[in-house]
Amino acid sequence: MMNYFPDEVLEHVFDFVTSHRDRNAVSLVCKLWYRVERYSRQRVFIGNCYAISPERLIARFPGVKSLTLKGKPHFADFNLVPQDWGGYVQPWIEALARSRIGLEELRLKRMVVSDESLDVLSRSFTNFKSLVLVSCEGFTTDGLAAIAANCRFLRELDLQENEIEEKKNHWLGCFPDSCTSLVSLNFACLKEINLAALERLVARNPNLKSLKLNRAVPLEALQRILMRAPQLVDLGTGSFVLDRDSDDSETYRKLRTTILKCRSIRNLSGFLEVAPHCLPAIYPICVNLTYLNLSYAAGIHGSELIKLIRLCGKLQRLWILDCIGDKGLEIVASTCKDLQELRVFPSDPFGAGHDAVTETGLVAISSGCPKLNSLLYFCQQMTNAALIAVAKNCPNFIRFRLCILDPTKPDPVTMQPLDEGFGAIVQSSKRLRRLSLSGLLTDRVFLYIGMYAEQLEMLSIAFAGESDKGMLYVLNGCKKLRKLEIRDSPFGDMALLRDVGKYETMRSLWMSSCDVTLGGCKTLAKKMPRLNVEIINENDQMEFAPEDSQKVEKMYLYRTLVGPRKDAPEFVWTLV
Amino acid sequence: MGITSEQHSSASSIDSSCNPSAAAGTSSSSFCAPIQSNNSTRFDLSTDLRLGLSISSSYYNDLFPTPTTTTREQPLSWPPIRSILRSAHLDKALDQKQAFLFIKIYMEGIPIGRKLNLFAQDGYDSLMTTIAHMFPTTILCPGADRVHSDKYHVLTYEDKEGDWMMVGDVPWEMFLNNVKRLKITRADRC
Repeated sequence: MMNYFPDEVLEHVFDFVTSHRDRNAVSLVCKLWYRVERYSRQRVFIGNCYAISPERLIARFPGVKSLTLKGKPHFADFNLVPQDWGGYVQPWIEALARSRIGLEELRLKRMVVSDESLDVLSRSFTNFKSLVLVSCEGFTTDGLAAIAANCRFLRELDLQENEIEEKKNHWLGCFPDSCTSLVSLNFACLKEINLAALERLVARNPNLKSLKLNRAVPLEALQRILMRAPQLVDLGTGSFVLDRDSDDSETYRKLRTTILKCRSIRNLSGFLEVAPHCLPAIYPICVNLTYLNLSYAAGIHGSELIKLIRLCGKLQRLWILDCIGDKGLEIVASTCKDLQELRVFPSDPFGAGHDAVTETGLVAISSGCPKLNSLLYFCQQMTNAALIAVAKNCPNFIRFRLCILDPTKPDPVTMQPLDEGFGAIVQSSKRLRRLSLSGLLTDRVFLYIGMYAEQLEMLSIAFAGESDKGMLYVLNGCKKLRKLEIRDSPFGDMALLRDVGKYETMRSLWMSSCDVTLGGCKTLAKKMPRLNVEIINENDQMEFAPEDSQKVEKMYLYRTLVGPRKDAPEFVWTLV
Repeated sequence: MGITSEQHSSASSIDSSCNPSAAAGTSSSSFCAPIQSNNSTRFDLSTDLRLGLSISSSYYNDLFPTPTTTTREQPLSWPPIRSILRSAHLDKALDQKQAFLFIKIYMEGIPIGRKLNLFAQDGYDSLMTTIAHMFPTTILCPGADRVHSDKYHVLTYEDKEGDWMMVGDVPWEMFLNNVKRLKITRADRC
């Protein structure tokens, strides 16, 4: 039927199909749909930059305007992947620049970005509008200066948690006077900034909706900036302290008056340093907040923190440090009835655990906030009874990540493993897509996961399980599994090799400090030519020719259409 | 079938100097030492984890029973939080630019205590001077000869682990990181 419509009609229909997965499905229906879809696709998401080449991207989607690329494996966030492993964006930017692609938006995660890449990017795409860099590294403020100077229609520059070398230049001053199109600017991860340039920039960009400052912006400057931008929806304060020389009460009064005018703020973050007596200035906007991120705000605790939370009745997302304590979480539970996402980070990762949360806080939250669907919880301990209660109170989890700081700790009340607790979670939350486990766990938890976690896409395992059976339960049972990352667990070749075809249905598998051997990995690589099976060797001791029976310290495998990568460093071996 | 790389890797241990966040991670390992004494029921595994050693496979442990320098230098991989968040909180603990660290200070025999901003002090000398203005007694300076007498007082503090210690034994920065509250105690009690 659809064959009788002109392509434009099909294209118009496809315009309504926006999610990547749906568009991918559309392209598989027939050759006609594949053709129409590919010419009309504007947004492309590539979850692993080594799964495909830029040339093939450009060939298939000549109309692409927005590209998302991810590089290093997730465990790189926790220092498990060495420097220089890879994930370079340079070849992508070069290829896109050579082609006639009208790139407007580039979003990168865990990639290595150089100043040269940023420079080429800034000069090659006249309509470039949006650059989002998350957990990237390899560039300096010189690269940012190029973006500021050359991207005439820039709307968004969002730098989230990158490692950026800061030079003495004033990159922010490189935005020309004609730059008035900014909607979103986030430089919270930088240490320095040119305050005068910042204030001028804010003054001439009336469409600014999202502004996240860094610790170099003191309260006086924040007040002046907010005066210029009362329309902000999304604010990251820098420091929330006054310069020593300033007149406290005068500044405070001005700040309070200014903030009263900022009625649109819905998302609040920052507080990288805090003078607690200034906090009441933000009380008036708390009532409207839907997202509050205090994960860097170690200076807000105790009664000030509680006072703040009590005012935030409309919160949907809360990111907090564990110094809030179980009692503080009880207050969250009674105040934030619309809470959907909670992240509790450890404030003292190496500490003796005085300021921390336990199962009590989590149960309170689950009781008071039945809409909870996304959780990241670092805690001192957890019990099966608590997890079972949480599972009952909150059957809507999409993401459930629990990290017990002592990773093999059993239920402290019963001394049992936490299999039953996690089993309850996967059984009750039928839409669970992401799960991270911790605590003492046997193979049994994986039996439950394989049986019940039908929608599970990403699973993170650390110090868990007893035998290959555990890993097999997961590989056999979780049909939608895309990313599996395992560390320090007793899974070996038997589990790895049982169903080699499974890995082509997944994006990637990471196994470190497990029992897989070099021989097992070689066997897998030989059977599956469309996987890259990479071994990371950092030990000095590997100078001699390794034996097949030797256990592999770190293995990362991923499906790919373009064979072994050519940029692997000497410590990464791609097995063939 | 074999390995595509020409050379077998010889090096590439994680060099903490080339990764600023890793440097923050490794320097923090000095904070791990006190924890070992904290909880005597902690398993060895936990200690290793707290020290940031990733648990090697047993094969390597058999061949190389003592931890290699490579392993020691590796930045921390547990708990699984990003380096930026980890080092932000370490900086927080030591950052003297933060304006306030108010702690309570009591003197033995006086039920009402005072509050003192430790970040407003430059060091132990400044602390002693400030306290001298707040309380009606002579406090023996840290390092002075111990005098057992009820006429004099000494300054003690409660640390993170709940123990009462003499003020002045450790470097000022370390003291700031550990102090929970202060107490002026009679010299004959120490």
